[in-house]
Amino acid sequence: MSSTASSPQAWSLPDRLSDPTAALLSYLIPGLGQVYQGRIGKGVLFFVCIYTLFFVGVYLGSGTVHLKHGEDDETYSVSSNVYLPDTAEQNNPFNLPRLAANLYNRPQFAGQFWVGIAAWPAVWQYVNYDRRQENGDPVLGHFERTPSEAALNAVHTSGDKLLELAWVFTVIAGVLNVMVIYDALAGPAFLPSNAEDDKLAR
Amino acid sequence: MLPAHNIYFVELPLLIVLISLVYSATRFDEWVPILREALRWGLRLFAFLDAIGFALYVLDRIT
Repeated sequence: MSSTASSPQAWSLPDRLSDPTAALLSYLIPGLGQVYQGRIGKGVLFFVCIYTLFFVGVYLGSGTVHLKHGEDDETYSVSSNVYLPDTAEQNNPFNLPRLAANLYNRPQFAGQFWVGIAAWPAVWQYVNYDRRQENGDPVLGHFERTPSEAALNAVHTSGDKLLELAWVFTVIAGVLNVMVIYDALAGPAFLPSNAEDDKLAR
Repeated sequence: MLPAHNIYFVELPLLIVLISLVYSATRFDEWVPILREALRWGLRLFAFLDAIGFALYVLDRIT
């Protein structure tokens, strides 16, 4: 079929090859799928931008507070804002399955999860959570572990609103990585200009 | 204790720059269009947040 400016084919989207391996790699580590495809500069850009957003968010969402209770000096710590607490028993208004109820109670994690491997410690902590372990998980310690309510309250009231801004950073990092995964799967929204195609289209 | 500082000069500009770059890079594959689109989106986001900040400032002054 001839391609002219008036024919619909001249303006139709080109066929796109999907690349699930690259998409999986970009899920695991942002930009890795693009590097695997040879688009190294873009892969590095995604990696730096998304991990900067995520880890700045983790840093802003952490804090330690020392409070005096009479003679005692208590220390409260929040290691990060990437965690999924098991709160299904306290709040499950729609009788959802346990995991769905926990995500309903903390929807931020549904966004944070998409940043890939960097959010997996939170999954490990969720699966292996034991309130009695005062030193945290034997493998990961307190990293991405659900903080106690007392620690959250202490850090919140002693600091400013940075804890709230912090989870915005980590959620945006995860959601942007969904776009990066799609870019690895199907390419950019606008494919690179091709002089040959342009001539044909004209 | 968490340090109290002004988010408008550190965190929000960083957020705008990084979001604009990643979003633009998912739309194009070449550096010039990526950077041009990122600048465009950065300015739009800046204007949007600035408008909200200005509205809140005015509300704060008149109430």
